[in-house]
Amino acid sequence: MKRKIALAAALTATLLAAACGNDGSTSGTPDANASVDGKGKTLKVWLMVDAQSGWKNVVDQANERFTAATGAQVQIDYQQWGDHLAKVDATLAGSDVPDVMELGNTEMPKYVFNGAFHELDKAQYENSKDWLTGLSAPCEFEGKTWCVPYYAGARVLVYNTDLFTKAGVQPPKTYADVVAAAKALKQKNPGPKFSAFYAPGQHQYMGLAWAVSKGGTIAKQEGDKWVGTLSDPKVQEGLTNWKEITTFSSGDKTKNEQDQAAIFAQGQSGMMYGAGWEAGAAQEQPKDPNDPASEKVKTKVAGKVATVAMPEVPSFLGGSNVGITAKAQNPELAAQWIKIFTDSKSQELLIDKGALPNATSLLDKAAAKEGNEASAQAAKSSFFVPMAPKWAEVESANVIQQMLVSIATDKATVADATKKADDQINTILNS
Amino acid sequence: MSVASPSAPTRPTPPGPPAPGAHVRRKRRSSRSGGFVPYGLALPALFLLFALLGYPMVRMIVLSFQNMRLRELFNGLTPPWVGLDNYTRTLTDSVFWTVALRTTIFTVVSVALTVVIGLGVAMLMRRVAPSLRIAMIVVMMFVWAMPQLVATQIFRWLVDADFGVINYLLTLLGLDYESHSWFAEPLEGWSVITALVVWAGIPFIAITLNAGLTQVPKELLEAATVDGASPWQAFRNITLPILKQLIVIVTTLSVIWNFGLFTQPWVMRDGRPSSDYQTLATYAYSTAFKTNNYSLGSAISVITVILLAAVMVFYIRQMFKIGDVD
Repeated sequence: MKRKIALAAALTATLLAAACGNDGSTSGTPDANASVDGKGKTLKVWLMVDAQSGWKNVVDQANERFTAATGAQVQIDYQQWGDHLAKVDATLAGSDVPDVMELGNTEMPKYVFNGAFHELDKAQYENSKDWLTGLSAPCEFEGKTWCVPYYAGARVLVYNTDLFTKAGVQPPKTYADVVAAAKALKQKNPGPKFSAFYAPGQHQYMGLAWAVSKGGTIAKQEGDKWVGTLSDPKVQEGLTNWKEITTFSSGDKTKNEQDQAAIFAQGQSGMMYGAGWEAGAAQEQPKDPNDPASEKVKTKVAGKVATVAMPEVPSFLGGSNVGITAKAQNPELAAQWIKIFTDSKSQELLIDKGALPNATSLLDKAAAKEGNEASAQAAKSSFFVPMAPKWAEVESANVIQQMLVSIATDKATVADATKKADDQINTILNS
Repeated sequence: MSVASPSAPTRPTPPGPPAPGAHVRRKRRSSRSGGFVPYGLALPALFLLFALLGYPMVRMIVLSFQNMRLRELFNGLTPPWVGLDNYTRTLTDSVFWTVALRTTIFTVVSVALTVVIGLGVAMLMRRVAPSLRIAMIVVMMFVWAMPQLVATQIFRWLVDADFGVINYLLTLLGLDYESHSWFAEPLEGWSVITALVVWAGIPFIAITLNAGLTQVPKELLEAATVDGASPWQAFRNITLPILKQLIVIVTTLSVIWNFGLFTQPWVMRDGRPSSDYQTLATYAYSTAFKTNNYSLGSAISVITVILLAAVMVFYIRQMFKIGDVD
């Protein structure tokens, strides 16, 4: 009986808290500068696993400063990318939700559109007038701001310097150089396991980069309808080039890019297209592959990996944003934490770890850091997915991946595959 | 989604054929007496069944007549009613029928293989020395006890293009399997998935049928041999008729499990199966939870249940008949 009462009390408390949270959302934006006594309170934060494996120190110092300022504790839950949106949906439907949530910049619009986040006072966050558009555009909706840019990543050409020297090729300056280098590498290393350019078919941000490299677009808005434009001749030309690159890959053409750094680490690949930090990941892998927190050991290619901005191919500007959930129980604490987590001090620590900062004013600092030049340069020529509220569903439905895999495995011609993808995009974006 | 039922046996007790005499008496006694007591005793089980299966099922059916999207989910709004829209949309969608056909073909092939191989193993178990039989049972128990998820991960790594041991061994044998992708060709990929499902399904059928085979009177088989019957004739005319009821039951169960195939293709394809690897269960799940079309996903699930029920009516009637005859 006692337990029942406790349960009922807990339930009521949650419901009340949830109700208050909802009230908060109607009464304006949470103030990031308010002085809140957070003693005894715990702020719940969902971050993606990259923060845990890549820059835990950034999170730790932000938490320390936050606790010092407010007295509140922080509980961080790290999430895996794979299937995380289903988990996010289920969590946001309930009443016990995290206060702060990180989402990828391609995922954000859908959630902002459906009312999952609190409106914010943009001016309260440092560097907000210089935020990278690729990150901040998904946060804007109906002229208001709903999330804060956290970090960005640009994709670059990662290459094995040792194999390049042996094959007598220079780091590529033009796209033709890339293809020529791949041919030279292949000739020098005829083994069946060797990939002159490792390119898994499901690597959608590689495929899309090539798709827009000849001036095409992915989809465009006509009135209030969205139209897929992948079958445009310019896109087809770009994808035909991409298809040529995949022929230099001996890897599984139906795979995604998740383990490409580990594959590159085996020294059997001349080039790959990856995020800047993947060059580091290829040289140092966790000793226990199942435990990202385990001790790092040097791989076969340690010291032999370099990056350069992919010539003539724009980079997809990936990244993440953090927002305050609409049902957050501590919206003001959440605002303060986000303010600290995304300020210049935190951003500079992020730059040290090879990520790109959230603002153009900090990009030069990133470019000055050794190993970061290529990504910073690539970020200057970048593209973004269509700003349709339902674009995340196109990603969830694997439309682009299936198109790419069918091209890479010769299941469909570029023309047929792009036509099919356009049809699917039209259905999803306009449903 | 209630269709996401496990496709590998979740170990119900194998219903061995009862000894005819004892059963008749027991049945007669229980048929009239007791009043409300039997119902009272069944109540807790019925309540659990309703809470765990009935309620979600009702919710799913209701949902399938609405249009529930993310906004309704986040804000707790009542989704608008759309009548049969989700059903007409699904039934006129060629993708749905392709997936339904693929699921059906997979079910027929995998169940046929499981039952035939399982029967073969059961027959073999009658022939080998008792110690070997025990060893076989122990090994099969291990296979049976392995969680689907673990088994699927193991198979997935076995056939991994870059790190898989199967490619390594085939290459050692001199075949061209270096970095071979087992999932580029759907037929090959489905062979891997079928192999996994059949492998995991055999123990239940073999052990059940082995129990059934102990009921085949030796004298009958001996008499048949004396009368000049070939082993095949003895099998067809003596063993099979006695096993028939059991085979109907294990086949029915296998069809139900395999038709709801989910974990294996889902995990093998990294939680995002391409259209070639969708089954009705994964398709309903993807529609509901990946594209946030909860109502459409529910409609697909309801249709799946109806499709399965339509096919199963015949078998389920057969099962009831078996109960009556005894």
